[in-house]
Amino acid sequence: MTYGYPSTIPRRTTGDVVARATGGWGYLRGLDWWLLLSALALSIIGALLVWSATRAKQISFGNDPETYFKRHLLNLAIGLVLGFFMSRVDYRLLRAYSPILFGLSVLGLLVVLSPLGQTINGTKAWIPLPAGFSIQPAEFTKIGLILVVALLLAERRDAESEPANRDILISLACFAVPAVLIMRQPDLGTALIMAVAVFGMIAVSGARTRWIVSMMAGAVAAAVAVVQLGILQTYQLQRLTAFADPDGGGRTFGYNTQQARIAIGSGGLTGEGLFHGAQTQGRFVPFNQTDFVYSVAGEELGLIGAGAIILLFGVLLWRGVRIATRASDMFGRLVAVGVLCWLSFQAFENIGMNLGIMPVTGVPLPFLSYGGTSMFATWIAIGLLQNVHLRSQD
Amino acid sequence: MTRTVHRRPARRFRPGNPRLRLRVALVAALMLLSVVGVRVLELQTIQGPTLAAAAAADRTRTVTLPAERGQITDRNGTALATTVEARNVTADQTLVEDPQAAGEALAGVLGGDPQAYAERLTGERRFVYLAKDVTPQTWERVRELAIPGVFSEPTSTRVYPAGDTAANVVGFVGAEGNGLGGMEYGFDTELAGVPGTLEYQRSARGQEIPTTAQDGTPAVPGLGVQLTIDRDVQWKAQQAIAAAVRGARADWGQVTVMAPQTGEIVALATAPTFDPNRPADTAVADRGNRAVSDAYEPGSTSKIMTMAAVLDQHKANPRSRFVVPPTLTRGGHVFHDSEPHGTLKLTLAGILARSSNIGTIQAAERIGGKTLYSYLKKFGIGEPTGLRFPGENRGALPTPAQWSGTTFPSLAFGQGLSANSVQMASIYATIANDGVRVAPNLVKGFVRADGSVQPAAAPASSRVVSAATASTVRRMLEGVVSDQGTAPQATIPGYRVAGKTGTAQRVDPDCRCYKGYVSSFIGMAPADDPQLVVAVSLSNPRNGKYGSVLAAPVFKKVMTFALQQLQIAPTGTASPRIRTTW
Repeated sequence: MTYGYPSTIPRRTTGDVVARATGGWGYLRGLDWWLLLSALALSIIGALLVWSATRAKQISFGNDPETYFKRHLLNLAIGLVLGFFMSRVDYRLLRAYSPILFGLSVLGLLVVLSPLGQTINGTKAWIPLPAGFSIQPAEFTKIGLILVVALLLAERRDAESEPANRDILISLACFAVPAVLIMRQPDLGTALIMAVAVFGMIAVSGARTRWIVSMMAGAVAAAVAVVQLGILQTYQLQRLTAFADPDGGGRTFGYNTQQARIAIGSGGLTGEGLFHGAQTQGRFVPFNQTDFVYSVAGEELGLIGAGAIILLFGVLLWRGVRIATRASDMFGRLVAVGVLCWLSFQAFENIGMNLGIMPVTGVPLPFLSYGGTSMFATWIAIGLLQNVHLRSQD
Repeated sequence: MTRTVHRRPARRFRPGNPRLRLRVALVAALMLLSVVGVRVLELQTIQGPTLAAAAAADRTRTVTLPAERGQITDRNGTALATTVEARNVTADQTLVEDPQAAGEALAGVLGGDPQAYAERLTGERRFVYLAKDVTPQTWERVRELAIPGVFSEPTSTRVYPAGDTAANVVGFVGAEGNGLGGMEYGFDTELAGVPGTLEYQRSARGQEIPTTAQDGTPAVPGLGVQLTIDRDVQWKAQQAIAAAVRGARADWGQVTVMAPQTGEIVALATAPTFDPNRPADTAVADRGNRAVSDAYEPGSTSKIMTMAAVLDQHKANPRSRFVVPPTLTRGGHVFHDSEPHGTLKLTLAGILARSSNIGTIQAAERIGGKTLYSYLKKFGIGEPTGLRFPGENRGALPTPAQWSGTTFPSLAFGQGLSANSVQMASIYATIANDGVRVAPNLVKGFVRADGSVQPAAAPASSRVVSAATASTVRRMLEGVVSDQGTAPQATIPGYRVAGKTGTAQRVDPDCRCYKGYVSSFIGMAPADDPQLVVAVSLSNPRNGKYGSVLAAPVFKKVMTFALQQLQIAPTGTASPRIRTTW
């Protein structure tokens, strides 16, 4: 006070300005910062990896090498805004609108399968928008499905009892509609993620063990049926089984995973350095800005970087389970569980296929893979987790 | 949490307990995560080195770095053949998005048919050539078009800035840059240098990965070859012989300019010639160097060897008296002079001045065939010049064992043996250099990349006749150029000139018989201290035949220019007069 400001004039910090804009110190203090910062760290690592994966091609075309880096950051910014709104939206509103959200996303899936849909890499999953953008409705369907199933399993009962069989059946039906549509794209990976999310929610909702057991049995039966009855096309099957025999598929199916594993294996402890991985810069790994972005981390950042990503997902998982455990009501808990199953299984599936221990299904790595819709959806998911977290503190 | 616990105290174990199931889920998820973590560890520590080494071997490519070809310059360092940077325009068809538009854009810069480019740009090939050897400026304009998939590779192209000047000496290169003619061929090893190698990491699309390390050995540039040719004298000689060949309607002609003390060839001009920048435009025969590749029966210009031998053996002196009959029968053959005459009383100098075949036979008979043969050999007849020219014809000199009755008298006046133009010039250079033969040479030295010069090996030299003999022959040759001799056309005001005409019967390569003539003049100046020898010949002229008329004026033009160009002053002495008759 000897020098500086007169005590009568309150000083304003940047924090004050942010707090005022976001709704007060209470809101900011109430956030789960572990969750937020780990998701943010993953997104920023993703921006660097996407940059490194795309710059060589951009340079060869004479384009700005930072194009994808900047777009990834832009997607992150939009995702942050969407997540912010999702964390602040009224719970009741969310419950009221979740059937509508779900309905719209299923409608989006129908549009995708109509002639308006756009096919990329053999999957018809996109709706083209003006100015070169496109959206992938399946990503939003995950959110819609989680909200609707949470609503079905949490409403119309008190917290003590188990969910009614009818509600479980309706939930499974709600899963089946988009799952069938998504399988038609075909996008087996996304359907699988939805299945895991719904399974997790039903399990945590307190359903009887026989439901759990029969769902597991059903999944095995479905898998056998799919293979035996030839529902999958040959190439899909080959792609799925390529991971088991990476050298067998030649340059068609085994190639991607083979090159990805070479890239990761080349990294060693500290990696070859960002922009200096020969496999990455030589564009040996196809789709390494999207599905195989983890191979860039493995090669250029080494065990330290690749391990850090796994650790950050671990932090995400830990905080998610904590939020679900502390949730003040069943709806919030189930939403948290759904989101958690989604993100963690998708991360496992993606990293697993990079490492050659999971089949190639073409799902993006949350926060890291390049792609707007995926980024928006995952940040909406983080917003939902924060919403549940904020509510449990009331 | 406390609230939940408070509201619902644990009453009994319930399998559907959400919190228990959450814990089970967390454990399951953490196990999956550890599986992933262990797998990463395994990949990067155990499998990693093997995988990485195999991939590195697969990525590594070794390319040959072309060595820069050395320059060929004239004696003053003026470039006659040089290498300039160029570019080959290439394409990766798989990266081209719009072949039609790209083809139109390329045709706009490179010229040619847009459709042809579009076809070259369409397909699955990773590497095709679109244009070769374009200038760096042109490539810069192509690059500015920013067509995806269009690339370039550095290359070089051989350029001959002097055009056809010295083309027959310098030669030319083929499409791969290797020497195919002239010095480009003869000194290809020195000029070519040693190619280097470059190891680099190649991307999946075959291009170099810019951020990876490179390895290899640099290319060693070729040596520059500095010729003994003087570009300006060469140019003048080419102009003069080209005009003479046209005027005489000869098959071809040549001029050789030599510095007798060093054996250096200052000019080696042939007509017709060619443009080494476009060798394919010219017939193969005209791309060589006929001064070296064509041997002919020299005729009268050869007589100085007979005279030098007789003088050197002290069997006669310039004033020795000969009675020269109208004809002479030897070996059953009647020998004539070129113009019929009665019995003449000529001195030895007179025989040479009049170029009498009969008198020369008479003089040669004073030393005999074996002795003459040994002198012809010493003058270099039938021996290779050592110029490293492709396709040299060293000429022919029959050994005494092969001789018939007419061989010895024929050899005495220059028929029955053959020599190329450089060999003939060398005979006169030997006389000019006081009887010491210095082997003809075309290369002064080799220029290293740092600019330092490694001189060429000193040419072989040998004494053929005594200095006194050489001096005497020169005085006799001055008589030829006087108004009493056969070639007053060769006089150069202010300078003493010595020389000899030749009008030899030509062996036709088709019928292997005598048909047509080779008209020649070989001379030197200044006669009492010769600095230059100029040899001129025209093969099979159809408009005139005498060396004095066709070749001597060319000698005069070239010698006059060369004396001025090389700043050789007149000696200021007077020509002696030697009696030609008695």
